Amino acid sequence: MSSRSEILGAIQALEKREIHHPGDFKSYKATQDLVGDFKNSLSIVGAICIEAENKQKAEARLSEIYPDLLRYTSHDVVTNGLELEAVDVLEIDGLFGVAENGAIWLSDQFLPNRVAPFICQHLVIYVAKSEIVATLHEAYERLDGHYADFALFLSGPSKTADIEQSLVIGAHGARSLTIILT
Amino acid sequence: MLNHAEASEKFIEDAERTTWHDETLWFVRSKRDKVSKLLPEWEALREQASLIKDHTLANLGQYLIEFESNAQKNGIKVHWAKDAQEHNEIVHSIISKHGGKALVKSKSMLTEECHLNEFLTKKGVEVVDTDLGERIVQFRNEVPSHIVLPAIHLKKEDVGETFHEFLGTPKGNKDPQFLTEAARQHLRGYFLGANVAITGVNFAVAETGEFVVCTNEGNADMGAHLAKVHIACMGIEKMIPKRKDLGVFLRLLARSATGQLITTYSSHFAKPRKGQEMHIILVDNGRTRQLARDEFRNSLKCIRCAACFNTCPVYRRSGGHSYHQPVAGPIGSILAPNFDKSANVDLPFASTLCGSCSNVCPVKINIHEQLWFWRQDLMKDGLAPLGKSLSMKGMAFMFSNPTIFKMAGYMGRLVMRFAPFIVNNSFNPWFKQREMPEAPKESFQSWYKNRK
Ligand code: SF4
Repeated sequence: MSSRSEILGAIQALEKREIHHPGDFKSYKATQDLVGDFKNSLSIVGAICIEAENKQKAEARLSEIYPDLLRYTSHDVVTNGLELEAVDVLEIDGLFGVAENGAIWLSDQFLPNRVAPFICQHLVIYVAKSEIVATLHEAYERLDGHYADFALFLSGPSKTADIEQSLVIGAHGARSLTIILT
Repeated sequence: MLNHAEASEKFIEDAERTTWHDETLWFVRSKRDKVSKLLPEWEALREQASLIKDHTLANLGQYLIEFESNAQKNGIKVHWAKDAQEHNEIVHSIISKHGGKALVKSKSMLTEECHLNEFLTKKGVEVVDTDLGERIVQFRNEVPSHIVLPAIHLKKEDVGETFHEFLGTPKGNKDPQFLTEAARQHLRGYFLGANVAITGVNFAVAETGEFVVCTNEGNADMGAHLAKVHIACMGIEKMIPKRKDLGVFLRLLARSATGQLITTYSSHFAKPRKGQEMHIILVDNGRTRQLARDEFRNSLKCIRCAACFNTCPVYRRSGGHSYHQPVAGPIGSILAPNFDKSANVDLPFASTLCGSCSNVCPVKINIHEQLWFWRQDLMKDGLAPLGKSLSMKGMAFMFSNPTIFKMAGYMGRLVMRFAPFIVNNSFNPWFKQREMPEAPKESFQSWYKNRK
């Protein structure tokens, strides 16, 4: 007998128990100030936040923060992820942000390569102020019916506290994260 | 092998380190308290998570089949393993096909449970653990002492020494920032060169056939997106019915684990990238056995947040290695006897049954009750540690005989007043590191009867 049928057989041999799914969860209170809460969460998770009317206006600030660095955008498609090792700064579009935890939904349709947001040294993500939801429940509500081959919630730069619980930014992924709120 | 009490005794020899360990984990627990209190719906979320898991476990077969078929439609190869041996062999057969000699692995408690590293090393495959804490303990030839903070038993001096030996960092340098950078550089090389990446799975969604992996470091993604082959290993209890359920679990997981709002990366893997092979291994290894036991089924709801470790007064003062199991702490002490009763008889007794674990558990597992159930089960099988079974039998006899109980109280007060050395001796382990209280002159019962 295959392990599959052995495992499923062992489960099916158990007495039936009728327990219903509790249904979708609704968060208690929707926040009044989505942008304010989002900015607050960003500062908790260690991201830099810049407000700008549009991408062009953000440009000046970016070249200040990252002078003379090799910059890539969402439009540079790179099939071999390894090539991205040389990229200093990657600028990409986030689909929406989550106010309660500073997470941004990134989908591989808008990434030069899946490994891009991890392998680059610094990450810049554009998020529109109008595209912020309150909690993860609203986030999944919004994602209903939208499927990506690969996608993620990203919140803050990569970090670790594995050495004596001291927080160190820049473990394996990006060393810094800048969010441009347009 | 030392039992839990003996190993704890060794751990607490270093009083300063024990205090540090205790306080650091308590600090993590306090962070969890703080962020959880910011959510007015926290208790409702715990209840919801618990109900979803109850429902999933009651319909596990159906959800596994649904997940399998959706994952296959997505182009993922699905494997089933009834035990650790089969799991390891499946991993090895996939690796052999791709001729890799080194692979990168992110944190997966399941692969620890299956002793995958040992198995592959014997076959000549180099396994590189890429989570910083796991890499540290791997260099030292140790195992993780905590499921979320694998190197929490070590101080930065220890890590500095280890990195000096294995990575050539300057002797005496113990700066966490510097050491983390050294590990980043060292592991990048492996990420860029590995053919095969292994990751764990935090949640597998039946509805979509996708799985979610959560990390703060980004190591799971660095491995999975660069390697030609991605193998994800999961216990069958990691299933959840719908994608929307993820909202509930992702809100609870990091807040419970480290007091973070969410992990840095919550990656949703649905399909392999072009030219990549993606495998998922569904592992039983005793889980269907646990599922059949009414009193222990709940333990399969665990999402491995380690909140029960951080709050446990015994874990904090005895260290993870004293549990001699890949998953330590209160939940580990429930899971271990399911694998091997006689080798783990000590673990259900490594608890004060204070119930703090059950109070913090995000999926509301009745952890302390299950520890107590195991104690009874082990007693029944005649497996309980000798000292425990003798004193428990004595207690049972005493509590069921009111006259003897009263007598014993009287005797006890006499002993404590006039001959405390009778209890304060080396045959009574309860007495180590403890002072006995002064005995009252009168029993509660006689005080109650005589009160005006
Ligand atoms: S038993 Fe509960 S508290 Fe402990 S690790 Fe599992 S989910 Fe977390």
